[in-house]
Amino acid sequence: LEVSQGAQPPIPSLLSPTVTSEQIEHLHRRFKQLSQDQLTIRKENFDSIPDLEFNPIRGKIVHAFFDKRNLRQESDGLADEINFEDFLTIMSYFRPIEMNMDEEQLDRFRKEKLKFLFHMYDSDHDGKITLQEYRNVVEELLSGNPHLEKESARSIADGAMMEAASICVGQMGPDQVYEGITFEDFLKMWQGIDIETKMHVRFLNMETIAHCY
Amino acid sequence: LLPMLAALAAGAAEARATSEGQLPGAAAMGTGTPPSPSGTAFEETRLHVFTLDYPHVQIPFEITLWILLASLAKIGFHLYHKLPSIVPESCLLILVGLLLGGIIFGAEEKSPPVMNSDVFFLYLLPPIVLDAGYFMPTRLFFENFGTIFWYAVVGTLWNAIGIGISLYGICQISAFGLTDITLLQNLLFGSLISAVDPVAVLAVFENIHVNEQLYILVFGESLLNDAITVVLYNLFKSFCQMRTIKVIDIFAGIANFFIVGIGGVLIGILLGFVAAFTTRFTHKIRVIEPLFVFLYSYLSYITAEMFHLSGIMAITACAMTMNKYVEENVSQKSYTTIKYFMKMLSSVSETLIFIFMGVSTVGKNHEWNWAFVSFTLLFCLIWRALGVFVLTQIINVFRTIPLTFKDQFIIAYGGLRGAICFSLVFLLPPAVFPRKKLFITAVIVVIFFTVFIQGITIRPLVEFLDVKRSNKKQPAVSEEIYNRFFDHVKTGIEDVCGHWGHNFWRDKFKKFDNKYLRRLLIRENQPKSSIVSLYKKLEIKHAIEMAESGMISKVPSSGSLSEYHEGKIKPLSPTEMENMREILTKNLYQIRHRTMSYNRHSLAADANEKQAKEILIRRRHSLRESLRKTNSLSRERPVLAFIFFFI
Repeated sequence: LEVSQGAQPPIPSLLSPTVTSEQIEHLHRRFKQLSQDQLTIRKENFDSIPDLEFNPIRGKIVHAFFDKRNLRQESDGLADEINFEDFLTIMSYFRPIEMNMDEEQLDRFRKEKLKFLFHMYDSDHDGKITLQEYRNVVEELLSGNPHLEKESARSIADGAMMEAASICVGQMGPDQVYEGITFEDFLKMWQGIDIETKMHVRFLNMETIAHCY
Repeated sequence: LLPMLAALAAGAAEARATSEGQLPGAAAMGTGTPPSPSGTAFEETRLHVFTLDYPHVQIPFEITLWILLASLAKIGFHLYHKLPSIVPESCLLILVGLLLGGIIFGAEEKSPPVMNSDVFFLYLLPPIVLDAGYFMPTRLFFENFGTIFWYAVVGTLWNAIGIGISLYGICQISAFGLTDITLLQNLLFGSLISAVDPVAVLAVFENIHVNEQLYILVFGESLLNDAITVVLYNLFKSFCQMRTIKVIDIFAGIANFFIVGIGGVLIGILLGFVAAFTTRFTHKIRVIEPLFVFLYSYLSYITAEMFHLSGIMAITACAMTMNKYVEENVSQKSYTTIKYFMKMLSSVSETLIFIFMGVSTVGKNHEWNWAFVSFTLLFCLIWRALGVFVLTQIINVFRTIPLTFKDQFIIAYGGLRGAICFSLVFLLPPAVFPRKKLFITAVIVVIFFTVFIQGITIRPLVEFLDVKRSNKKQPAVSEEIYNRFFDHVKTGIEDVCGHWGHNFWRDKFKKFDNKYLRRLLIRENQPKSSIVSLYKKLEIKHAIEMAESGMISKVPSSGSLSEYHEGKIKPLSPTEMENMREILTKNLYQIRHRTMSYNRHSLAADANEKQAKEILIRRRHSLRESLRKTNSLSRERPVLAFIFFFI
C-alpha cells in the first residue's frame, strides 16, 4: 500500500474505528520524520532516536517492529523494511481499552497484547521461551548495571524458569525436563496482572517535533 | 476502670498531700482529690509507713491508663474473630468512648473532658499520617497524582462552597429559627465539614481491600485536601472576624493556598533529604537510627504548623522522600524497628482518637435543631455524590483508564468525615460563633453517620457491586522480571512515537536520582536492580534456614546449573572465612523489602516461601544428580562453596 505525502493514509482494519484520524495524522508525521520522508523504515532509521539508546532491551523493541508475526502475516521471519501501515499495526497493540468493550473483546484484546510481548521473548520464533532465551532477556535487562556478573543474571533466569515450571506444570518428576514456556503457559503467568490497562500509550499527547539526529 | 476508681476512693479517704501540696484541679480526666487539711507548722507529723501521692503522678498515670484501656479494648474486639470484619474497629472504639463518657458524666455530673484540639493536632494526628505516608505506594500515587489532586482541591472547594451556600439558603427560612447564622459562618462550617478524613478512611478501607487504584484515590485525596481545608478554614474564620472584605483579601486567600500547599511539601522534602543524609553517617551508632526517622518527620510536621502551612502534606512528603534512601542506609534491624514502631504509634493514636471522640460526644456541649442537623447531613451526601460524578466526567477525558461508575460510587461513598472536622469545630471561637454548640452537634451527627452507617455498609456494598479487590500475591522473581521488561517496552515505544508519557518523566527522575541523589545520600552506593535484590533476598533467606537446620553440610553448592568447575573452590583460611561471613551479612542488610499494599495491622507478609523453597529444592535435586555422576566433592568444601557463591 502506497502512502503518498498529502493523502489520507489508509487505516488498517484492526484499528478502526477506535483510532481517530487526528491520531493517525500524528503518527504519520512521526513516521515521515523517522523515515526521512521515505515510504518505508529500516532498522537503521531507529538509530536516530536518542532516548532509545539507553533502553536495555532496545534490540528487542526494534526487532519487534520488523517481526512478521506481529505484522499479522501468516509468514514467519523478519521483514527488511516496513511501511506506514505496518507501523500503525505495531502501534495498535498499544491502544487503550475502551469503556464499551464486552468480555469477549477484552479477552481478545488482552491476548493480542500478550502475544506481542511473547514474541519479544521468543527470539528464535519456535513458539516456546527456552531457558537460553530467558537468560538472554534477563541479561539484557540487567545490562545497565556494570557491577553485576553474568552468574547472577543466569541464576536469576534459572530461578524464574523454575517458578514458571512450577506454575505451569506443577509437580515434576526427577527426570522430567521442562521444555520451555509456551504461549498458554505465558497466559497463565500473566493471569493476575491487568496487562490491558497498563499496556497503552496516549497517542494524543505527542511531541512530534521530538528529537531526531 | 477499676484502678481509676480505686485511686479515686483511696485518694478521697487517705490523702495526705506531701511535698508541694499541689492540688489537682478539675484537670484533664476529672479525678480530683479533695484538699487535705494541712497541719500548722508546730504540729509534728509522725513518720508515714505508707503514703499515697496521686497528684505527683497524676498526668502520666492517667495518660498511661487511657492508652492501656484503648489497647485492651482492641484486644477485646479481636477475641471474637468475626466482629472486626462486620463492624470496623473505629465504630467499636467510638462506642467504648461513648460508654466511658457516659460513666464519667454520670459519676461527676458534669461534661467529661473534651478532646483538646492541640493534643489532637500536635500529638495524635502526626503518627497516623507518618505511617500512611511512609508505606504509601509511591509509584501508584504519582501515576494517579493528577486525579488525586483534582479531587482534593476542586472537589473540596466544590463541597465546601456548595454545602455552605445551601445551608445558608436553609437558614434563611425563618421557620427553623436559624436566621442569625450568616453566610460566612455557613461557608466556614461548610469548609470544615467537607474535608475527607484520612484517619477514618484508613480505618475503614484497610479491612475491605479494594484494588489499590481506588484505595490510593480516596486516601490520596484525604491527604492532599488538608491544604485546601487549612486555607479555607483560616480564610473564612478571618473573614468572619473582619468587618469589611475587599477583593484583595480573596486574592490573598488564593495565594495563601499555593503557599500552604507548596510550602508544606517543600519543608517535607527538605527535611526528608536531611534525614537521608544524616542516616548516611550513622553506621557506627546503629541503635539510634530509628530515632532520626521519627524526629525529622515530626520536625517537618511542627515546622509546617508553625508557619500555618499544611502539616499533613509536610509529613507525607518527608516520609515519602526519606523512605527510599533511609531504607538502604540503615541496618536491617533498625529498619524493622522503624516499621514496627511506626505501626504501633499509629495504631495507638488512632485508637485514642476514636475513643476520645466518643467521650467528647457525651455532655452538655450540644444544641439540637432538627432542620440544621438533618439538612447538613443531606447536603453532605448530595454534594459529595454530585461532586464526584461531575469531576469524574471531566477528569476521565484526561485519564487513559477512565473511572467506571462503580469506582465513582465507591469514591463518593468512601468520603468519610472524622476527627479532623471534629477538632476543627471545637477550635471555633465562641465569641464569633454564638451558635457553636449547634455546629458541634451537626458535625458529630455527620461523623457518626459516615463512620457507622457508611463504614459498616461499605463492605457488603463492595461485595455486592463486585468491585475489583486487591491482588494479595507477593512478587515473585519472574513477575519482577516481567514488570521490568514491560516498563522498558513501554518506554521504548513511547520514545519511538515521540511521546512524552509518564514514563519519560519517571525515567528522567530515575537518571537524576542515580547520578546525583543516590551518590549523595546513600552510604554504599551500588546501583541495584530490584530483580537482583528480590532474588538475593529469597535465596539468602532460604540459605539461612538451611544453615540453621543443619542441612547444608549434606548439600552441594548451588552454583549455576550447568557450569560447575572444581577449580573454582579452594580451601580458605580463617580470616578469609571471616571476610566472607562479613560480606554475607552485609548482603543481608542491603536487601530491599517492597511492601505491596498498605495494611494497618501487619507489615507485608513474608515472601512466598513455598515458591522459594521449591526453586531451591529442584535445583539441589538436579545438582545432586549431576554430582552423583561426577562425584568430585569432598565433605568440607560444600559449606565454603555455598558461602563463596554469595560473594
